[in-house]
Amino acid sequence: MPLTADVAAQQVQERLRALHRLVYDIEAERSHNEQCIDNILRAEKAAESPSNAEDSSGSSQQQAQLKNLYKAGLTAAEQEERLLRAALTRIYEIRAIKNERRMQARHAGNKETIGCGALMKMLLSAAQTLPLHVGRVGERAPPLCGAVPADAGHIAHPGDAVAALVRVSEKEENWILAEVVSWLPAQGKYEVDDIDEEQKNRHTLSKRRVVPLPLMRADPRTDEHALFPKGAVVMALYPQTTCFYRAVVNRLPSNAADPYEVLFEDSSYADGYSPPERVAQRYVIAIKEGKGRAT
Amino acid sequence: MSEEINDITMTSTEADSSQTHGHEGNSNPATEDTASNSAATPAGSEGQASRQSNLQRIQQRKEQVFNWPHSKKLLKLAIYSACQTPDCTCNGWKTPVTQQTPKSNTRQETQPPASFNDPCRNCNHILEKHATHLQGLPVTEVNRLLGAVVDVENIFMSMHREDDHDTKRVYYYLFKLLRKCILTRTQPRIEGPLGQPPFERPSIAKAITNFVLYKFHTLPQREWQTMYDLAKMFLHCFNHWNFEAPSVRKLQVSNPEDISAYQINFTRWLVFCHVPAFCDSLPHYETSLVFGRTLLRAVFKSVCRQLMDKCHSERDRMPPEKRVLVLTHFPRFLALLEEEIFSANSPIWDPDFKQMPPNHHLQAILENKTTRRGEFERVTPSGESKDGFTTVSLSSGSIKQEGVRDGKRGRSAEPPAGAKRRRVADEAADDVSERTVADIVATISDPNYMCGPDALFQMQAPRDEAAKLEEQRKMIEFHVIGNSLTGAVNKQTMLWLIGLHNVFSHQLPEMTKEYISQLVFDPKHKTLALIKEGRPIGGICFRTFHSQGFSEIVFCAVTSNEQVKGYGTHLMNHLKDYHIRNNILHFLTFADEFAIGYFKKQGFSKDIKLPRAMYQGYIKDYEGATLMHCELNPRIVYTQFTSVIRKQKEIVKKLIDMRQKEVRKIHPGLTCFKDGVRSIPVECIPGLRDTGWRAAPRAAAADPDPDADLAALRNVLHQVKNHAAAWPFLKPVDKAEVPDYYDHIKYPMDLRTMGERLKSRYYVAKRLFIADMTRIFTNCRLYNSPDTDYYRCANTLEKYFQTKMKEAGLWDK
Repeated sequence: MPLTADVAAQQVQERLRALHRLVYDIEAERSHNEQCIDNILRAEKAAESPSNAEDSSGSSQQQAQLKNLYKAGLTAAEQEERLLRAALTRIYEIRAIKNERRMQARHAGNKETIGCGALMKMLLSAAQTLPLHVGRVGERAPPLCGAVPADAGHIAHPGDAVAALVRVSEKEENWILAEVVSWLPAQGKYEVDDIDEEQKNRHTLSKRRVVPLPLMRADPRTDEHALFPKGAVVMALYPQTTCFYRAVVNRLPSNAADPYEVLFEDSSYADGYSPPERVAQRYVIAIKEGKGRAT
Repeated sequence: MSEEINDITMTSTEADSSQTHGHEGNSNPATEDTASNSAATPAGSEGQASRQSNLQRIQQRKEQVFNWPHSKKLLKLAIYSACQTPDCTCNGWKTPVTQQTPKSNTRQETQPPASFNDPCRNCNHILEKHATHLQGLPVTEVNRLLGAVVDVENIFMSMHREDDHDTKRVYYYLFKLLRKCILTRTQPRIEGPLGQPPFERPSIAKAITNFVLYKFHTLPQREWQTMYDLAKMFLHCFNHWNFEAPSVRKLQVSNPEDISAYQINFTRWLVFCHVPAFCDSLPHYETSLVFGRTLLRAVFKSVCRQLMDKCHSERDRMPPEKRVLVLTHFPRFLALLEEEIFSANSPIWDPDFKQMPPNHHLQAILENKTTRRGEFERVTPSGESKDGFTTVSLSSGSIKQEGVRDGKRGRSAEPPAGAKRRRVADEAADDVSERTVADIVATISDPNYMCGPDALFQMQAPRDEAAKLEEQRKMIEFHVIGNSLTGAVNKQTMLWLIGLHNVFSHQLPEMTKEYISQLVFDPKHKTLALIKEGRPIGGICFRTFHSQGFSEIVFCAVTSNEQVKGYGTHLMNHLKDYHIRNNILHFLTFADEFAIGYFKKQGFSKDIKLPRAMYQGYIKDYEGATLMHCELNPRIVYTQFTSVIRKQKEIVKKLIDMRQKEVRKIHPGLTCFKDGVRSIPVECIPGLRDTGWRAAPRAAAADPDPDADLAALRNVLHQVKNHAAAWPFLKPVDKAEVPDYYDHIKYPMDLRTMGERLKSRYYVAKRLFIADMTRIFTNCRLYNSPDTDYYRCANTLEKYFQTKMKEAGLWDK
């Protein structure tokens, strides 16, 4: 079904309305939660007060009451979490619709040529709005969250952003930012499009020449294990370009919205590395060693 | 000195005494009421009148002399001519001693006229000897010399009457000069320490014109005309003014520097303006054209005072409308003018002041800003740096915009788009009203305006939009900096230059570091630096050749991790505005293959419009690079260009919307084509006129001779048809041979069809012809793959076609 601008706008409007309602619901739930916590605190205080400590029957009654309050609080908190996640889902849906719309327009061939500057802006905002992984307690970050690699059998979906190793000249190969067009199971190859439309090259590449980019951001406060450690050698998108180059992680993101700070290998500088550059999580990936290595 | 003068007086009076009798007294020059006592008698009515009559008398006297018999003319000239006898050094015939009697009126009357046989008192050779060389001269030349003789005598009389010692000396100088010219029969040329006019630029006349444009451009046509007339009146008075002698002035002004400056200017005025006004053998210059601010400042106050006094004294004699003009508008005009004359940085004295018609508001805005805020488009030394010489800060376009919005008149606060439309309004009465435009501008400036469905997705912003925003938020700054070998360069500038050097050497690896240092630190080169967080992240290094009127762009780079953010475009726009302010309107650069794209986007072209002689030998030549040229339009503020255009586009779109709403009506479709009519004139389509459509009036003018063009097109078509690569395109594609062709190609075209169309005069404009031809090639490339012969033929033939069109002068892309 073609996703016209009008249809897309309508879908976005629906999501926005849902989001609007959710914001109110969340607020209601939040104040409800606050009330629960207040009740619990008050009950705890009452239970701890020495005057009632001797009265055992009163104490067990208090404990039962406290237990009920805890249960209610838990449910309320879960409810709030559900609402928050629902709101996030709506936001990601809007993001997906926008992306879908962009791809449709692109494939329809009626290229509203995106200028170079606009493309860069789009890439930046795509990285900033990449969904954040909010794990449940004890849950480990899933594949393609932050630095966690994809599963061995993972097949990227059409529209997914990938780093692709393409031959740019007789001698040179480059890791470029591309978008999956289709997966050809018979050949075990991907069809990918250069993200830079001006290049307008479609490449058919074997699986090992295609590295999917993270689908989620990892929060350094909860999932530090899902980030590259300092000193790791990675491939990172050079700022304001659509190419990945080898770099060393210099500083980790301090929060979920923060980018990495990396040093690019660059022989034109005396020490062989560029000054620190900031690169978003989405554009920092594990290096592929072996035959298809970037030069 | 006195002896010689006395000699002359006597001889001249004697030689033509009979003719000059009773005439000499009033054939005196205009000076009698003027130079010597001008302080007492301003250019009042009497002064003017007597001046006029004096000039008339002088002319009459010359006419009279010119009508003398030839021999008499020679007699007269002999008095001023050297004796032609070999080895005789006498340079003027003098009345013989015997006839010399005490000077008196009675004697003059009785004195007989001189004859060619009278011997010279000086050398004893006869008068004829003093005139032999004049015999063969043409009448015009003789008359010219005689005119000079009249002038010499008039100057002599003036000198005699002059009381001021310095002025007297000036007359004596001119007297001697003219005498020498008659003797040598040459044109008088005034040389020496006074210099040659013009003495100062801009001239007073130019400044006054600037003043009118600058102060009154916002006024409606009629009021503007009034101001213009007042300016003309002022200049007229000024040109005929008699300035007071420095000795008189000394009494009022105490500053000795002012006095000596005035003395020089006064002497210049005497020699070049005042005396030549009545002695037309001397080259004459208008005061207002050769003098500038210094003189106007020195005399303005007294001139104004006397002028107003005169106006008041004459008020009763003026016609009523003139009275209003002079008594109500003139004082205000003079007051405003005075402000500009004595202001330290008035734009009217700017030699680069751009003269535009008064209702050209785009420029008007520019001028407003130049002066009201003192920052717009004007090079201001940056506040912090001490050496304004090497560092120049540039302010952003958007701040300037605010400057205008504060302007007191609503008109100048409107965007140029509206202004442009209004200019059209003068010509065609049916233009949109200012109100409508203002409403539209209010709508499109509303931040909520762009909230359509598209706003959710990709917004197509101009390339430099983001950079402009950052500049507005003071996140980035632009400075023109350069090294100096003579003045001190502050540390900041030096650090920035080093930073720029690093940017250039990283971004332009094919240039050696040494070469970059050599140019970036060269005092003749300047660099427009883009500063972000205190560090240069990009810049354009350039060298201006003022004498050649262009700047060469040497390096241009933005550091790699800041690219594609619009900085390059914004840098170039700042550079353009900077150059327009400095009156340099051409850029040249050698672009390497990676830079050509960038320069094209910035309005550069490989087509060099500047004559080769202007730049050859001036700019550095690079092997393998392409010379590109960009001409600036001084009426454009480049840093605001995109936003102005966008606004104009929005306004036009809105106007179309409004018009469409007004005339919304559905007409039944045309049926005439079904009835076999091949074509109808466009204006016959019902409803079309109601939408405001007009037949393009220029169509005929642009295409003066359709037959000539037609012949040229026929010629090109013929050549294309005969080309070796034309065979696939000679006739329409046969569906039997290529069954699916017409499934893919919706608008087929071929050379035979074009021939038929040409015959039926379908190609009324050459673009139709070009469009059809291009269609052939695009169709071919669409249907066939690049490795086919067809595809290659299309490419070959297209090139050939374009070459032929260019040869025929029909290609203007």
